[in-house]
Amino acid sequence: MKFTRKSLGIPYAVYLVLFVVLPLVVLFYYAFTDGTGRLTAAHFIGFFTDPNALGTLFYSFAVAMVTTAVCLLLAYPVAYILAMSPLKYKSSVVMVFVMPMWINFSLRITALKEVLTLLEGNLARFPFLNAVVGMTYDFLPFMILPIFTTISKLDGALREAAMDLGADEKQTFFRVTLPLSMPGIMSGVSMVFLPAMTNYVVLDMLYNSTYIMGSLIGSYFAAYDWHSGSMIALILLGIICVFTLLTDDEEAGAQRGGALL
Amino acid sequence: MNRVKQGFLAFSALFFSLTAVAGAGMPVRAEETAPAARDTMAAGTGKTVTLRVCNWEEYIDEGDWDQEEAIDLPDGTVFGENSLVQDFEDWYAETYGVKVKVQYSTFGTNEDLYNMLTLGDTYDLVCPSDYMIMKLMSEDQLVPLSDHFFDPSDANNFYIRGVSPYIQNVFDSTRIGDEPWSKYSAGYMWGVTGFVYNPNVLTEEQAATWTLADDPAYRRQITIKDNVRDSYFMAVGALKGEELTAPSLVKDPAYHQKLEDAMNDTSPEMIAKVQDYLQQVKDNVYSFETDSGKADMITGKVVANYQWSGDAVYTMDQADEDGYMLNFAVPRESTNIYFDGWCMLKNGIAGDRAKQQAAEAFINFLSRPDNAIRNMYYIGYTSVISGGSDPRIFEYLDWNYGADEGESGTVPYDLGYFFTGDTEKADPEHTLTVSEEQLHRQLAAQYPGTDVIRRSSIMRYFTPEENAAINQMWVNVRCYNIRRVPVWGWLLMGAAMAGIVTLSVYQNRRKHMAG
Repeated sequence: MKFTRKSLGIPYAVYLVLFVVLPLVVLFYYAFTDGTGRLTAAHFIGFFTDPNALGTLFYSFAVAMVTTAVCLLLAYPVAYILAMSPLKYKSSVVMVFVMPMWINFSLRITALKEVLTLLEGNLARFPFLNAVVGMTYDFLPFMILPIFTTISKLDGALREAAMDLGADEKQTFFRVTLPLSMPGIMSGVSMVFLPAMTNYVVLDMLYNSTYIMGSLIGSYFAAYDWHSGSMIALILLGIICVFTLLTDDEEAGAQRGGALL
Repeated sequence: MNRVKQGFLAFSALFFSLTAVAGAGMPVRAEETAPAARDTMAAGTGKTVTLRVCNWEEYIDEGDWDQEEAIDLPDGTVFGENSLVQDFEDWYAETYGVKVKVQYSTFGTNEDLYNMLTLGDTYDLVCPSDYMIMKLMSEDQLVPLSDHFFDPSDANNFYIRGVSPYIQNVFDSTRIGDEPWSKYSAGYMWGVTGFVYNPNVLTEEQAATWTLADDPAYRRQITIKDNVRDSYFMAVGALKGEELTAPSLVKDPAYHQKLEDAMNDTSPEMIAKVQDYLQQVKDNVYSFETDSGKADMITGKVVANYQWSGDAVYTMDQADEDGYMLNFAVPRESTNIYFDGWCMLKNGIAGDRAKQQAAEAFINFLSRPDNAIRNMYYIGYTSVISGGSDPRIFEYLDWNYGADEGESGTVPYDLGYFFTGDTEKADPEHTLTVSEEQLHRQLAAQYPGTDVIRRSSIMRYFTPEENAAINQMWVNVRCYNIRRVPVWGWLLMGAAMAGIVTLSVYQNRRKHMAG
C-alpha cells in the first residue's frame, strides 16, 4: 500500500469506529429494544412521562447552568486581564490557573470537602451550593483557557480603531471585544456545561444525595435495566448534539463576521 | 482561533460528555487480567491449570506482614509472608503435583460482577453475596460442588472439616426451588449489619434501632448506605419495628421464620411505604455514602454510620489507632445476616475436571484455619470457618479478644452457636472471657452474640419484577421530582432559557446585518 498523508488518519479512524461508532450503535440498540430484542419506544416515552426523570433533567440543568454562569463570571475577567496585560510570560501565568488540573481529581475534591466542612460546619445543609462549588473548582480551567486564547489572538488594531472613532473604554469593550470573544465563551461554555450535567462523582463526594443525569443512568445499569439506562444516555446525547450545533453556528457566524471585518 | 482548533474543542466537549455517560454505567475493574487463552495450557496436556478467580476488592490476605504482626497461638504461629494466592499455587503444586496459575481479579459490587459476567467476562470461581448467589443459581449459571468436596475423610477438604455448623446449617436450609444453597456455594465471609456510633453522643439504647436514621435529634449527623438493598432492609426494619419486637412474636416458636418473612416483604404496599419513609430519611441524614462513611466516622463528621460488621471492625480499629473510641450496635428489630460465598461458573469451568478440582482446592485452601485467620486479621471480616477439630480459630478469638489475666469487670461471651450450631444451649467450652466493653465493640461486630443471631434475617433475592419495582422506588427517592420544583425555580429557569435564546438571536441578527 502506498503511504499517503491520508494513511496518517487510519489510527484515528480505527479509534473512532471502536470507541465512538460501535458504542453508539450498541447504545441505540439497547435504547430502542426491550429484553426480548423487539423494537420499542417505551423507554423513550417512559423518560418523558416520569416526573422523577424530568425532575432530574431539571436539577441537572440547574446545577450545570449555575456552574457555567459562575465559571464564566470568574473566568472572563481573569482571562481578559491576563490577555490584555503587558506581562512578558503570560502563558506561565495561565499555567498557574491550569495547574490544579494536574492534581488528581478525587484528591482535589477530598481536599475541597474538608475546606467546605470548615466553612459550612455541616456539609449536608447546602447540597446544591456544594455541587456548584465542587464543579466550578473542577471545571474553571476549561473556561479560562479558550477565552484567554481568543482574547489574546484578537487584533489590537480593531480596538484602536474603535477608540479612534470615538468609543470610550466601556463601549469598546461591549461593542468590540466582547462580541469578538464570543467564540471563546461558547467553547468554554460547552466544555463546562455538558460535563456539569453528568459529573455525579462531585455530588457523591460532596454528599449531595440527589441524582443528576449521570447517577440516574448509573442506577439503571446497577439494576440490570440497560435499556432505560441507554435511553437516558441517548437523550442526553441528543441534548448535547443540539447544544453543539447551536454553538457551532455561533462560531461559524463569528468567523464570517471576523473575515468581513 | 482557527477552525480546526474549534472543531477539536467541540469534539472534546462531546467526547467528555460521552465518557461521562459511559462511565456512569461501566463497572470498575481494579486489576485487569487478560482473558485466558482458552485452555491452551489446560490440564489435559498435563501442564498448567489456569484458574480465573474474581473476588471483592481487598478481600484476601496479600501477605507481606511485619515481623511483630505474627500471631502466636498455643497451636502454632500464624504469619502472612506471601499472598494467599501465591501460597495456594505453591501448596497445590506440592500437594497434587499439578501446576496451577491463578488469574486474580476483583469487583466492586455484586451488580458490577453480574454486569461483567453479562458482558462476557469469563471466570471460574467468583465470590458474590448471598442474594447474587441465589440469582446466579436461579439462572442456572453455577456448577454444583462435587461430592468429594463434602467428604470429610479427605484431610485436604478443609472446608467441610472446618466450616461452622451454624453457617453450614443456614446454607443447607436456604433453598432456591428445591435445591439448597450449599450445593452450589461454599461460604467465605459473613456478618451482620448495624450502626457504628460515637458513644460520647449516643447510648447503645439510642443507636440500636433502625429508626435512628430518621431521628430528628441527629438531623444531618448520620450516614447510611447508598445501596438499595441495605436501605430497603433498614426501612422495613424501622417501619415494622413494633411488630417485630412484640413479645408475642419473639416468643412464637416460628419466630425466626416469621421474622424472615416480615423482613422480606416486597408487597407493593410495603414498597410504597418504604419510598415515603426513605424520602423522609433522605431529608434527615447527612448523606447516602458508598465508601466515605468509615472516614467520616473517624474524623467525627457524623455520629453514626450504617455499616456491615466487617467494615465496622475496620472503622473501630482505625479509630482506636487515633485514640478515638467508637462502638457498634445491632438494631433490636432485626439485623441482616449476609454471606459471601465461592461458587463456580458454568461457562468458566466448562466441564474441565482439572479446573474444577483446582477451584475446589482453592476454596479448601482458604478454609484451612491458619489461612482463615490470616484473612480475618487482614480484612476484618469474619470467616465462616470455625475450625472443626482444629482449635486455632477459637484460640485466635481468645488471643484477639480475651481479657487479660486478673482483669476486673470481665463478662462471659458464649459463641457456642458458631462452633457447635446450637443457638439455644449455653456452651462453656466455647465461651470467651472478655472485658465488658467488647460487648459493644469489635467482638460484638465480628462475632455477634447469640441474641443477635436469633433476630438475624437473611435478605432473599428479588425476582426480576420485584427488583424492577424496588429499583424504581429507589430512583424515585433519589431523584428530584419535577412536581417539587417551586414557582421561582420555573421562573428562574424560564428567564435563563429566554436570556440564552434572545442572546443567540441577537447575535445572529447582528451577524446577518454585518454580512
